[in-house]
Amino acid sequence: MTIAALVHVVVSGLATGSIYALVALSLVIVYNATRTLNFAQGEMLMVSTFAGFTVYAHVKLPLVVVMLIAVAAAALLGWVIERVIIRHAIGATHFDVLIITLGLSLVLRSAAGLAWTHDEFPFPSFFGTRPIVLGPVRVAPVSLGIIGASLALMLGLWALFTRTRLGRAMRAVAQNQRAARLVGISVERVYAASWILASVVGAIAGVLIAPVVFLSSQMGLVAINGFIAAVLGGFGSMPGAVVGGMLLGVIENLAPLYLPSSIKHSVPFLALIAILLIRPGGMLGRVARRKV
Amino acid sequence: MRSGWLLPLLALVVMVAAPARAEQGVTDTEILLGGSNSFSGPLAFTGEQITKFGVDLGFKAVNDGGGIHGRKVRTIWYDDGYKPQDAVANTRKLVEQDQVFAVIIPQGAPPVVATLEYLEQNRVPLLFPYQSSTVTRGRHWVFQGMTMSDRSSRMMIDYLVGRRKYRKFAALYQDDEYGKSFLTAFEKDLARHGLRLLAVESVKRGVTDVSAQIAKLHTAKPEVTFLVLVPGPGAQALRERQKIGWTDTLMVSTGPLTDERYLSLAGDAAEGVEGLSLWPDPLTSDLPGVRRYREHMQNYFPRNEPNRYSLAGYFAAMLFAEGATRAGARLTRESLIAALQSVKRWESGILPPLTIGPDHETQKQAVWVRVERGRFKQLTDWLKSE
Repeated sequence: MTIAALVHVVVSGLATGSIYALVALSLVIVYNATRTLNFAQGEMLMVSTFAGFTVYAHVKLPLVVVMLIAVAAAALLGWVIERVIIRHAIGATHFDVLIITLGLSLVLRSAAGLAWTHDEFPFPSFFGTRPIVLGPVRVAPVSLGIIGASLALMLGLWALFTRTRLGRAMRAVAQNQRAARLVGISVERVYAASWILASVVGAIAGVLIAPVVFLSSQMGLVAINGFIAAVLGGFGSMPGAVVGGMLLGVIENLAPLYLPSSIKHSVPFLALIAILLIRPGGMLGRVARRKV
Repeated sequence: MRSGWLLPLLALVVMVAAPARAEQGVTDTEILLGGSNSFSGPLAFTGEQITKFGVDLGFKAVNDGGGIHGRKVRTIWYDDGYKPQDAVANTRKLVEQDQVFAVIIPQGAPPVVATLEYLEQNRVPLLFPYQSSTVTRGRHWVFQGMTMSDRSSRMMIDYLVGRRKYRKFAALYQDDEYGKSFLTAFEKDLARHGLRLLAVESVKRGVTDVSAQIAKLHTAKPEVTFLVLVPGPGAQALRERQKIGWTDTLMVSTGPLTDERYLSLAGDAAEGVEGLSLWPDPLTSDLPGVRRYREHMQNYFPRNEPNRYSLAGYFAAMLFAEGATRAGARLTRESLIAALQSVKRWESGILPPLTIGPDHETQKQAVWVRVERGRFKQLTDWLKSE
């Protein structure tokens, strides 16, 4: 394998990894605030992207506007789901809520099939497809674009969590709900904000990845790899989600170069098992030890 | 009791009045056909087009023209999402519950192959399956639809090696019955020319990311790369090739892949791609049958753009109507089989004159096409596969 091919594969892996990282981040945001695993994250991302696409298909608006529509749809979807379904299950066990989100994912996927059919649609891209040539190395602009946009979004999230009142409130709730309530933070508002924020991050990931994998009702399956990325990095850790996502993308792309191509889809799970054996808490996570 | 004799008498009257046991799925006014197809999953678009906009289009025209010996044709469709286990369940339901006369145009080698034995055991005609594996050849109850993989392979290799003088070939194939039947045929036909495949890579069914496979095929430097895929991954392969700037290979699609769907998903990455096309161009062809198809589409489904899937389904409906008409007013499954076998030099106005032999194949040819400015341009006349 030449260096040029290797660079292409790694960059392409980082691009896919950025998407995994964004999905992992949206899972972690909801988990940290509410201790709920949102299995419907992938389908929420898919539905939001479809919402943007529907407007695009009818009126050819600029792509930035399409993304804003997807983001608005995502915010609305996140808010409605939290308000109408999840908040009523506030007293339920985590396991019950997990099953609710799993059911929700199936409902959303079928609904998307009814509304938009189960077909694949070409989605417009912000970035060109002709490769950028740097000496012997060729890099796809779409890969660089996805990496750049994702990093910018991650930076924004970092600023939100460290510099704003809402971010601090979300972190406080993540650390200790009771204490947060005692100092006057509205836990309910933080819950709603987390669902909306996670949904929005997912929608941006959706708009970025849809031109590459085509838009379809199956697109939400990307959340499985996002979930693995989050566990790899240490579930609950936001930097861990980013590192886990990037790593997973690169490993997944590199492995088939040296091994049979069909191994690609086992790679995420092999990586997961390996990490859990070596570091049960994930790469950047903490192992919760209990004294007996 | 006054009514003691009434019931047996009524039963007797009904028995005498009914005709000698009618064939399942055929009444005096109706012929019932059905099929399991993809309405979800990777071939959902294809499935919807060949059935609801193809077969149903043909039968709407037939029914409005008075039907077949006074019988209207009705169809029932179920979704298998390209999954063999669902195809089996659907097919049992069609035969046992809905009591269809015959199964028409089910799609995809894996689902079709899974139902083959069941249909044969129950003596149900399997008409024009939309798949290319050779498993369905030469069976009494089956009339194959699409040109089979070994015939396609012979046309592709003979054209590329003979007329175009290419020597180095590689293939990206779907890892199932569809892909493997092509792969075997390519190897056999290349061996006739003293050649072999330099590299092969597989894609799992339903997967869209093919970047690793394309990177590996690139390193083998083939002059021609065959794509034996379905539209989604096929378009992905073209886009991935464009991403890495791999220009010195000719991408060639197999007959089942050469379609409008694959073009629209791939966008400008499809430019210059060549392939075997099993149908004349549905939008531009001047053949009388294709023109009639466009008129019917305009009449019945004006909002549905013509494409080769609905054309294939329309052709299947026409061919069924021809067979059922020849079978006469007393339509049975056996009489349909005999009638279809007797078809000689039948003019569809879509494909060359059709003669169905003992091999039960209804399509044996294809033309060579190249993508120019987003459309297929025909480069050859009908190629021969005998």
